Amino acid sequence: MTIVIGFEGSANKIGVGIVRDGEVLSNPRRTYITPPGQGFLPSETAKHHRGVILTVLREALEEAELTPADIDCVAYTKGPGMGAPLVTVALVARTVAQLWGKPLLGVNHCIGHIEMGRLITKANNPTVLYVSGGNTQVIAYSERRYRIFGETIDIAVGNCLDRFARVIKISNDPSPGYNIEQMAKKGTQYIELPYTVKGMDVSFSGILSYIEEAAQKMLSSDQCTAEDLCFSLQETLFSMLVEITERAMAHCGSQEVLIVGGVGCNLRLQEMMGVMCKERGARLFATDERFCIDNGAMIAQAGWEMFRSGHVTELTDSWITQRYRTDEVEVTWRG
Amino acid sequence: MASSDLGTNNHTEQKLEFSLEVPLPSAREAHIALQSLSPDREPRKGGITKKLSASGNMLSAHWTADEARILRVSVGSFLDHLSLVLETMDAFGPPAPQ
Repeated sequence: MTIVIGFEGSANKIGVGIVRDGEVLSNPRRTYITPPGQGFLPSETAKHHRGVILTVLREALEEAELTPADIDCVAYTKGPGMGAPLVTVALVARTVAQLWGKPLLGVNHCIGHIEMGRLITKANNPTVLYVSGGNTQVIAYSERRYRIFGETIDIAVGNCLDRFARVIKISNDPSPGYNIEQMAKKGTQYIELPYTVKGMDVSFSGILSYIEEAAQKMLSSDQCTAEDLCFSLQETLFSMLVEITERAMAHCGSQEVLIVGGVGCNLRLQEMMGVMCKERGARLFATDERFCIDNGAMIAQAGWEMFRSGHVTELTDSWITQRYRTDEVEVTWRG
Repeated sequence: MASSDLGTNNHTEQKLEFSLEVPLPSAREAHIALQSLSPDREPRKGGITKKLSASGNMLSAHWTADEARILRVSVGSFLDHLSLVLETMDAFGPPAPQ
């Protein structure tokens, strides 16, 4: 039996989760929500996380009905993410690891999503689409690495959606992406937008600039509604994601797709990916918002796999890094 | 705190310096705080250095910086981090026996 506590706070969510042998015992989380029209800044986000992290930690232990003595390993997000919030979380993880006399383990944020996705969905060897506010990657496991077959060459798809939400002043509660999704359901008119797939890679910055300008022009002259723009943006972005995922599946001979990351919550994206998978005779796996969205349990789960296969992070090596490529980690826990 | 000499007449440019000493309840806790605060680099490249050490129950920090603004940001950030480490030790301590 191995129990791992995981700390995650690389963006505007702060969570602490506890996993024991494939079971999530607790997973409390808080979200730093900014006013409409504003994104979250690193120093303010770190301040929010500092204010709540010990409360969330206490909740995690209480909900799991465990004491520190029961914990075998302390896992935290080493990166990638925003610098100041990452440091906040690492400080607490390092401190409790020393107080409790437990080993420390730095986890890659992306691998946290993948391992939680695999645990919850039981996907065997899927092509992974990892989509969030900070990342957009198509990943497949091969020879002890989670290899990046395709990715965004500029901004993440979630970043594109979030920044468009700012332009039209959508609420950030519970998340701008969720609110775009709800508005898109009421959209009726498709506005043509740039389609910028580049082989296995994608680009979103041009689409964002285009729709920002379109929003100013078309909304002020009543040529379309904000709902139409949300609908059109989703159709375009998600079609691009489906295309690069399908290309990776074809290349690898994969029969499974797993969507992870915050944008993976989007039901329209799941629907579109589901249609493609069905046509290919493949299976689609996705999780709900408990695990799609950044959370502590995903770090605990990846930490559990890593710890049991021999990974440990020395305190002197426990620095955070804003850039930590998914394929940098040696995956010693898979065959 | 040393002042900066902005004169140009045969003077080497001097750096701003700041030292901070924080007593912890025990040497063990000073060591834990040091180990928690040490690994991360300064976010900005150049213009600032920070050295941390512990002696007995005393945690020491020493900065050198080119500009007052950079120094203030770094010291402010360190104090936020130190505060969080102290709160964590207060809430989840005392340290397990070694």
